[in-house]
Amino acid sequence: MPSDSASPAGTDVVLRALADPHRREIIRLIQDTELPAGQIATHFALTQQAVSQHLTVLKRAGLLEERRDGARRLYRFQPSSLEPVRAMLDEFWPDALERLKRAVERDHPKRGAKRS
Amino acid sequence: MTEPLVTEPVTASVRIAASPEVVFPYFTDPALATRWLADAALLDARPGGTFALDVRGNPARGQYVEIDPPRRVVFTWGIEGRPDFPPGSSTVEVVLQEDGDETVVTLTHRDLPTEDYRRSHQGGWGEFLGILAGVAASPLSSS
Repeated sequence: MPSDSASPAGTDVVLRALADPHRREIIRLIQDTELPAGQIATHFALTQQAVSQHLTVLKRAGLLEERRDGARRLYRFQPSSLEPVRAMLDEFWPDALERLKRAVERDHPKRGAKRS
Repeated sequence: MTEPLVTEPVTASVRIAASPEVVFPYFTDPALATRWLADAALLDARPGGTFALDVRGNPARGQYVEIDPPRRVVFTWGIEGRPDFPPGSSTVEVVLQEDGDETVVTLTHRDLPTEDYRRSHQGGWGEFLGILAGVAASPLSSS
């Protein structure tokens, strides 16, 4: 088998991201809740810029997701980053199609006649 | 896109009490895509057009490949920021089959990361989970 250099690199990125105690603490903070960068920063005796750099490292490793809400950036731990792609989609698509069915049938109720 | 990818596709289907004409735009119209699939959508429904959805915070990115209303739509799919599953790296085919006054939607998601790749990642994530468990068990007291 040829060695697959991409995968260990991916793991390395994650392990490196976790090698820093501040970044591990950030993950703990946003494990179950979404927080703005400013609020995360108040937990540390670090500059907001330093915290922002830690957040960037974690984001690149796929460990957290970033959402913009106006000028604010909100962060949350990304559990799906732990799942293999296939396992993620195996559950994702059936759920999504069920939501599609509900949406279409709610938007276009069948009563033998069109309703507006 | 030269490497042959052999991973078994993910498939899913659903039966909907509406015609294909009614169902089809839910895959191409941003206002309808956000009713079931995405929190936000930027869709340009023509071959080569942008397919960009935010799905539970995951930035799903790709392009439309084929659009044949109301029967079939094909788009690529990947997640921005996931090196193992980059934007455009996999393909989703959606087929709408009319059955009486209903539609059977069949979705096939192909060209997913290979089994080898996945296995090696599973090892990687297992390792990571162990570390995270350790972290959770002994939280840092920095405050």
